[in-house]
Amino acid sequence: MSEAHIDNQVLASLREVMEEEYPVLLDTFLVDSDERLRLLREALLNADAAAMRHAAHSFKGSCSNMGAPLLASLCKQLEEAGRREQLEQAPDLIEQVEREFAIVRILFKSERQRHA
Amino acid sequence: MAITANSSADGQELTIHVEGRFDFGAHQEFRDAYERIDSSPRRYVVDLKNTTYLDSSALGMLLLLRDHAGGDHAQVRLANCNGDVRKILAISNFEQLFQIA
Amino acid sequence: MSEPLTILIAEDSPADRLLLSTILTREGYRVLTAANGQEAVMLFEQERPDLVLMDAMMPVMDGFEAARQIKQAAGQQLVPLIFLTSLTGSEELARCLEAGGDDFLAKPYNRLILQAKINAMARLRRLQATVLEQRDLIARHNEHLLNEQRVAKAVFDKVAHSGSLNAANVRYLQSPFALFNGDLLLAAFKPSGGMHVLLGDFTGHGLPAAIGAMPLAEVFYAMTAKGHSMAEILREMNAKLKRILPVGVFCCATMLNLSFQRRLVEVWNGGLPDGYLLRLDGELQSLPSRHLPLGILSANAFKDECEVFPLELGERIVLLSDGVLETGNQCDEMFGEQRFTEVLRSNRERGQLFEEIHQALTRFNGSVQDDVTLLEVSMVDGASLQRPLLDAERGGQRGPTDWRAQYEYRAQTLRHFNPLPQLMQMLMAVDGLRLKGGALYTVLAELYSNALEHGVMGLDSAMKQGASGFAQYYQERNRRLQELDEGFVCFSIDVSPTEQGGRLRLEVSDSGEGFKVGQPVQGSTGRNSLSGRGMALVRQLADHCAWSDDGKRVCVEFYWSCNA
Repeated sequence: MSEAHIDNQVLASLREVMEEEYPVLLDTFLVDSDERLRLLREALLNADAAAMRHAAHSFKGSCSNMGAPLLASLCKQLEEAGRREQLEQAPDLIEQVEREFAIVRILFKSERQRHA
Repeated sequence: MAITANSSADGQELTIHVEGRFDFGAHQEFRDAYERIDSSPRRYVVDLKNTTYLDSSALGMLLLLRDHAGGDHAQVRLANCNGDVRKILAISNFEQLFQIA
Repeated sequence: MSEPLTILIAEDSPADRLLLSTILTREGYRVLTAANGQEAVMLFEQERPDLVLMDAMMPVMDGFEAARQIKQAAGQQLVPLIFLTSLTGSEELARCLEAGGDDFLAKPYNRLILQAKINAMARLRRLQATVLEQRDLIARHNEHLLNEQRVAKAVFDKVAHSGSLNAANVRYLQSPFALFNGDLLLAAFKPSGGMHVLLGDFTGHGLPAAIGAMPLAEVFYAMTAKGHSMAEILREMNAKLKRILPVGVFCCATMLNLSFQRRLVEVWNGGLPDGYLLRLDGELQSLPSRHLPLGILSANAFKDECEVFPLELGERIVLLSDGVLETGNQCDEMFGEQRFTEVLRSNRERGQLFEEIHQALTRFNGSVQDDVTLLEVSMVDGASLQRPLLDAERGGQRGPTDWRAQYEYRAQTLRHFNPLPQLMQMLMAVDGLRLKGGALYTVLAELYSNALEHGVMGLDSAMKQGASGFAQYYQERNRRLQELDEGFVCFSIDVSPTEQGGRLRLEVSDSGEGFKVGQPVQGSTGRNSLSGRGMALVRQLADHCAWSDDGKRVCVEFYWSCNA
């Protein structure tokens, strides 16, 4: 795997910025990510390229802020597919996003327990 | 409009060149030309060779220069006056106050 | 430090919003958050934050639309707006800029870059606020200045248009801009019934022009009313302007002294374009500037010499400001003297002249002209003019009724002093003489100039034949007056009551040789003889008139009744 699931340097700086609110930030991200995934699946179901692009764009932004580079890069590919209105690769990409998010979720949960 | 000034080598004579319209817009520049200099000239020349127009506020500015240069004892020469400029100076009878050439 | 900046964050991702607001709060800013564009616009209107961080893609209302609405609501105030986006295409960049974005911030956020950008924007904001403040200050100053100019214009308007400009023989045209440019017109009747007229053009405009106009007009009207000569008035106006105006501000002017009885006009032109004398036969005579403008020369260098011209009934004088000649056209040419004199020459109906000039200027320039001052004065029969009452005629307390006085003016005084105002003032204190002021002044003036010119200085009135002789005569008169070192003119005044009312006996004698009484020296009143008019006038206006046998002494009498 060329890219890491989690960028520890980013997490370190987030801890520094957020201080005692760091766990809240992690929770917020996880809750919001479920919503983004739901929107992605809904866009696929409706074959709505614009909605796909918007949801992927937003998700990509928070993933990059939260130090989940692989997830961010998958979202970027989805966003591009939405932009080009070529949704044939979308089911495969969404599956990859879900798998990657499952890993990120586990890593963040343990991160949260460590800094609770 | 552009105003430039240069001093003779011995600093005794200051020549002020006025290009284009000589009117109220030139007010500050014209004053600066003789007030902001290091030398203290005894004679002044206003070169109007490239002056296209001259209005009554320009006449006022010339009077200010004359005053600065010593009033009735001032040595101020208006050089290279073209026909139109000469006419305006003549109507105002400024040849009584300045050397006009 | 002053109050912290308030920053509005519009971001639909809760995690990003939380992260950003925590960073900014820790930096000391006051933070507002919105989850979509619409909320952002509402919050902006309520809270008026100083800076906005805006995500581009948001539900309900996207960042572009929200940015537009916020910029519009901010009006002239600069509210810096930073788009939160990792820009992937130039198309999106263009949309951000178009919507009013001032900068961009990419995800993942970097605290240092964020802080640098906010600082830069805060500086920009302060700069804009300062500019606006200064602009408002300048606008207030300007409003103040405009108001002062309005007041100045109103004052100037009154000053520049008082007097007798409405007399039937005077016509004038003055555009509002010319008025504001410092052109002024003055006209007043002299106690003798003649007229003084002045067209002046101050350098500068607005307030400075108005400042100079007031003393000028005051001297003009006060001295004219008291019977001072044109030369005296010019001297006083020049001296006063020289005294009060800064160097470089002056007044180009032409002054006319019109005598209806003697059919003469005296002209003094200092710095105005040529005036014109329009003869009945169509000939144009120019009245060029012979002097420096008023307010430049010191009193002892000032020259009051004027030119004298005979003027027949119906002949006219036209004066103009330089704005008329300097009217430009698209080719950068000026209207000029030649075009102006062509209009004068082609004028047939006198009432139409100004209209014709106006039309010519409009044709030349292609639009309505707004820097024009024109004055036309005609020679008319003085009796046809409605003259305002002299101050002295307006009545007052009972004056002295029985007295005698003698004044002898000697050479040194005669050279530079005009005794007429002094004598008039004394005579106008007499009740019965007030209503005769005009006639009395004329008689006094005629007798004085007769005694001075023919008696003391020995000038021959035969010189006055023809227009050129005329000018020569007055030149010679001035020359001799300057050099005068002996001689006198003596006035004896005797006011006494009579049964019906009163009587003034006025005797004028001089040091001259006199003339042989019995020879019809002053008898001729022929059309072309300008010399006899003066004495004929005296005979006509006084109730009694007699010369002593040696011709050195003349005695005139005026009578009045008590209930006059």
